Amino acid sequence: MTPNFNIDRPKVSDEEIHKHKNFDELVKQFKQQSIQKAKLDNSWWKNKKVRYSSVIAGTVVICTITYLALFNSNQKQNTNDKIITQSNPAPAPHKKFISPPSNKLSIPYSTYTISNTKGGEIKHSTASTIKIPKKSFVDKNGKDVIGDVTIEYREFQDKGDIIASGIPMNYDSSGIKLNLESAGMFDIQGSQNGEAVFIKPGSNLEVELASANNENRFNQYYLDTIQKNWTYLKKDQLLNPKEIMAITSEVRHSGMDGKENQKKLELLKNVVTVIIPKRLDSVKIVYTNKVSSLPKAKEPLKPSQPTGKPTFYIDGSQEEFPELAAFDKVIFEVGDENKNYTKSMHDVTWSDVKVSEGPLKGKNYLLTLTYRSRVEKLIVYPVLSGADFEKAHKKYEQKFLEYKSLAEKRTADEKKIMAEMEAKQKIYLAEIDKNNRAIEALSRQRDLNTLNNSFSGMNNATRAMRVFSISKFGIYNSDCPHTLPEGIIMSPQFSLNENGKIILPDLVYLVDHTGNLVFNYASAQISNIRYNPASINSFVVFIKNKMYLCDKNSFTRGLSKNSKFSVTELPESADNLPDFKKTLEI
Amino acid sequence: MSFQLMAINPHYHHTSDQLNEELLIIEAAKLNPERFAPLYDKYYKQIFNYLYQRMEDKDSAFDITGQVFLKALINLNTYQFKGVPFASWLYRIAYNEMMQLFRSQKDKRAVNADIGDLRFICEENEEPFFEEYIPVIKRLILQLDNDDLQMVEMRFFEKRPFKEIAEILDITEVNAKVRMYRIIEKLKKSLSKLKI
Repeated sequence: MTPNFNIDRPKVSDEEIHKHKNFDELVKQFKQQSIQKAKLDNSWWKNKKVRYSSVIAGTVVICTITYLALFNSNQKQNTNDKIITQSNPAPAPHKKFISPPSNKLSIPYSTYTISNTKGGEIKHSTASTIKIPKKSFVDKNGKDVIGDVTIEYREFQDKGDIIASGIPMNYDSSGIKLNLESAGMFDIQGSQNGEAVFIKPGSNLEVELASANNENRFNQYYLDTIQKNWTYLKKDQLLNPKEIMAITSEVRHSGMDGKENQKKLELLKNVVTVIIPKRLDSVKIVYTNKVSSLPKAKEPLKPSQPTGKPTFYIDGSQEEFPELAAFDKVIFEVGDENKNYTKSMHDVTWSDVKVSEGPLKGKNYLLTLTYRSRVEKLIVYPVLSGADFEKAHKKYEQKFLEYKSLAEKRTADEKKIMAEMEAKQKIYLAEIDKNNRAIEALSRQRDLNTLNNSFSGMNNATRAMRVFSISKFGIYNSDCPHTLPEGIIMSPQFSLNENGKIILPDLVYLVDHTGNLVFNYASAQISNIRYNPASINSFVVFIKNKMYLCDKNSFTRGLSKNSKFSVTELPESADNLPDFKKTLEI
Repeated sequence: MSFQLMAINPHYHHTSDQLNEELLIIEAAKLNPERFAPLYDKYYKQIFNYLYQRMEDKDSAFDITGQVFLKALINLNTYQFKGVPFASWLYRIAYNEMMQLFRSQKDKRAVNADIGDLRFICEENEEPFFEEYIPVIKRLILQLDNDDLQMVEMRFFEKRPFKEIAEILDITEVNAKVRMYRIIEKLKKSLSKLKI
């Protein structure tokens, strides 16, 4: 079927497109389809069983149901957000509960593979260790997972990590509003081929979290994304210093320090974004010029004989158009497309006659006839008759041969030049690819180095290992609850730079630099922020995806100006976690 | 062969940091579909416009856009990162879904262009443009086979650079240029024979 060809069809407005977007509906459909698929798989499994052995199947089914009933009753108490995601079609509550303030500051997961049959030990780059007993994982039906399991793990050690994670540090302890000071936090997830797996009851994993704080005043908490609160687990358990030294000495660091890494990254980025594109452009310009400087062949005009249509003879037209110079006594025949042509045009003594280029360049001409205010335009074709035609035709044949050989030579030369250009560009493109791969590797290394450095920079006396025994995947924290800052209430007003325009933040973080403390306030809470005047504070402000900073000095200045704080937009270069922390003086 | 330079499309083109960021979202969404939201927001409009550009009925284009994202989410575990934006995968799903719809005859293939696009075709072919040419150019375009029509739409009507075309069609940039060169030669031949 031939498609319809529409010209200038009205565009659909952004508003209308936006109206049709519905992510919650998409997730709902996805979950419904997943459930249907699971049901289909289940019925297939049943049929197969019945076909092979009904008696054994009956026994197996009864055992399985009994086991699942017991397993599910345990799981209800240990529900984590992944289970809810699979069974509850309502939007997952943690979507809004854990909301990173900027998608530029993502903290990557490290991915590890472990055999469920053998179990094993994972050593994370910060010296943290995850000990996994054999056969620790079960699938959603409570069956032992066969094969390898993917463990995704990441840590949040300091204030920068806490802000970037979007994990709320508020803690409601029987109605008392508190804020948690963290000595280290981690997020651990498990899956097999994209399907969530679960920790088998009684087969807890042991996580030894490397901590930058060796004080013994912290507790362990689990983030309950359903209740939207932290759940107290137990008093923190610290490893003794000898054990810590043995572990930390195993942490491997890359040979390259942060500065060297950053310098190399900038150098490579410059090569990819500036140097090679410039070379590509210059190659293109040089070769395009080469092509355009090749001698151009112009096809001679093939003489035509009159077809009996009305004609005009115009004196001097050969001088004006060189392609007509080969023809003596050329006359112009009126084309069929001229609907305005009438015979009476020949009876008028036109005061002005102009010949200009026609729609088919070199093949037809536009004849403009003027008499006083009357202007007529005709598309005309040059023709010759009798001996004039014969003479012109001979000339044409000779010119055409010259034209053909020149055109062939030009095409060959052009192809050769373009092939040379493409070969050169291919080399440059390969160079870009190679450098991009190096940039990717260095960026990953930079993130790892930051984590390593924050930990290895401390002396042994300040290092600590905090031991968690975990029965479900999720987010765990070694914390000490604090009351919200005692002291002065303020209603801060933020402006862009000194005396600049007022900005209305979506989210504000009050950073207390005397501890690992970050207090977050949504836009509705900003008019009522308490701070401790004895602490050193700063603000990090988010508006959509943009980040603004009111540093320690600006904070002090803002207090003296009736809580009018000047903020600076963080530069694009600070859109990665290490630079973000550096700017925040963390 | 002369190809006009086209600006990089910022909605499609990604820096290596942006690609990494996208990859992290994909990996997270494989474990939890709720994490797919940033990619849905980022590409919904692009995919709708791509489909509507090739379809007659607006409502069908919206329906297929929804289908594309649902398919993407269902098959996310099979997605393999090839160093190009996630959009290229979505475009391929979109094209397949759309062709399936045409086969079931629930909507009809359409070609949509502005007058400026047709002028651009003539310029690329080093031919002058006159409004009288429009019916002939339309006829020439409709005579192209499906693959060539895709190339013409992406290059002339959507003004995509060759790198982007190559990534969407899963071919090399050189291959895309060669294919375009052949189409232009074909069109040039027909355009030079134009008779109004």
